[in-house]
Amino acid sequence: MKNLINFLIQYSVVFLFLFLEIISLTLIVKNQEYQKSVFLSSSNSVVSGMYEWSNSVVEFFKLRAANDNLSEENTSLKNQIINLQNKLSTLKPEASDSVHFRIPPEMEYQFISAKVINSSTNKLLNYITLNKGAIDGIKVDMGVISDEGVVGIVKTVSKRFSVVIPILNPKIEISCKFKRNNYSGGLLWSGEDYRYANLTDIARHVELALGDTIITSGLTSTFPEGIPVGAIEDFKIKESDAYYKIKVKLAVNFRTLSHVKVINYLNFQEQKDLEKKSEEL
Amino acid sequence: MPTVLQNIFRFVLLVLFQVLVLNNIQFLGYINPYLYILFILALPVQIPRWFLLVLAFILGMTIDIFSNTIGMHAFATVLVAFFRDGIIKLFTNIEEGNNPTPSFYTFGVSSYIKYVVLMVIIHHTTLFLLEAFSFSHFWIMLAKILLSSMVTILLIMGIQSIKTK
Repeated sequence: MKNLINFLIQYSVVFLFLFLEIISLTLIVKNQEYQKSVFLSSSNSVVSGMYEWSNSVVEFFKLRAANDNLSEENTSLKNQIINLQNKLSTLKPEASDSVHFRIPPEMEYQFISAKVINSSTNKLLNYITLNKGAIDGIKVDMGVISDEGVVGIVKTVSKRFSVVIPILNPKIEISCKFKRNNYSGGLLWSGEDYRYANLTDIARHVELALGDTIITSGLTSTFPEGIPVGAIEDFKIKESDAYYKIKVKLAVNFRTLSHVKVINYLNFQEQKDLEKKSEEL
Repeated sequence: MPTVLQNIFRFVLLVLFQVLVLNNIQFLGYINPYLYILFILALPVQIPRWFLLVLAFILGMTIDIFSNTIGMHAFATVLVAFFRDGIIKLFTNIEEGNNPTPSFYTFGVSSYIKYVVLMVIIHHTTLFLLEAFSFSHFWIMLAKILLSSMVTILLIMGIQSIKTK
């Protein structure tokens, strides 16, 4: 008996080792039978809680892909809406004395979603580069908007990329109007602050108020009517001036711009041709 | 008891790192380093053997629970823990009464490298064999064992070499 106890003490570690290994092996074999033992698998609340936490961290890194997807989806939905609107307006009953009803031109737009891959806001002549080009259907002079409002106009297009002149570039002037009373003027960037631009050509008899919304006028073929541009931040007029000096807070934050939509006005060419023709006559 | 605290801290850190980071690495489909074994490697030399085995079992089980491989990591970790004393005696001659923590400084560079390599290879071989439970995909398994062991060894070496004495 004493020998046996001695033996056990002497080899206690080996026995412990064997014991632990047998437990492990049993668990392995058993686990293959039951696939997942309910208690010791990740369904365990502590473990799953931790994985949830870990996933919430990892998820952050996947936001970019999610954003891209959402943006694409958004664009295709918008295109669908426009198609449906077009269909709807052709189906509307015509007044008996009206001429044949046509789809209003401002509805014949399509959107091409694009991502900003390069942009500047701190120079005098700022440009934005988009990751879509001619093969995606982008052409020169198309308007570019984001979900917040007007961004700019496409200036040059290569096969896969296109360069946009944003509002933040004195080379372009965008035709705008007040949502309230339809007086229109040109929006011009002063070259100082990426948050503000100036609205010109508003005569002194026009009534203004701080915070008035400014939208695109629809007088050019680049932008349809009614896309937000900004709001009046400040305005002043001297006794001798005929026009207001209006400071506009832009609707788009150019610093954080990432997804934009290029507006494809389907009748652009036809309109351009007609206008040219009438000028020649 | 700074050593105890240090080891508890190391345990938690290594388990978290293993479960949250390394288990998500499937580089080339072969490399899946198991760095948590460093906990067993870095325990003081004269730790009672039964305690070492128990700690190894707990460590293995913890990893198992997180990676849904009940028993595999426990088995492999207990196995290396069992062989640890023999391997240390094989490569070093630490005098009675001394109780160093294994590192480049206490073992000497070449002894420590041999110690780590042997331990990691035993652990990884056991683990991948258990995972496959057969010899049918021998070459793929061998590649997995060698590549993963290599990465684990490099990681351990890297961690140990930035550690000051």
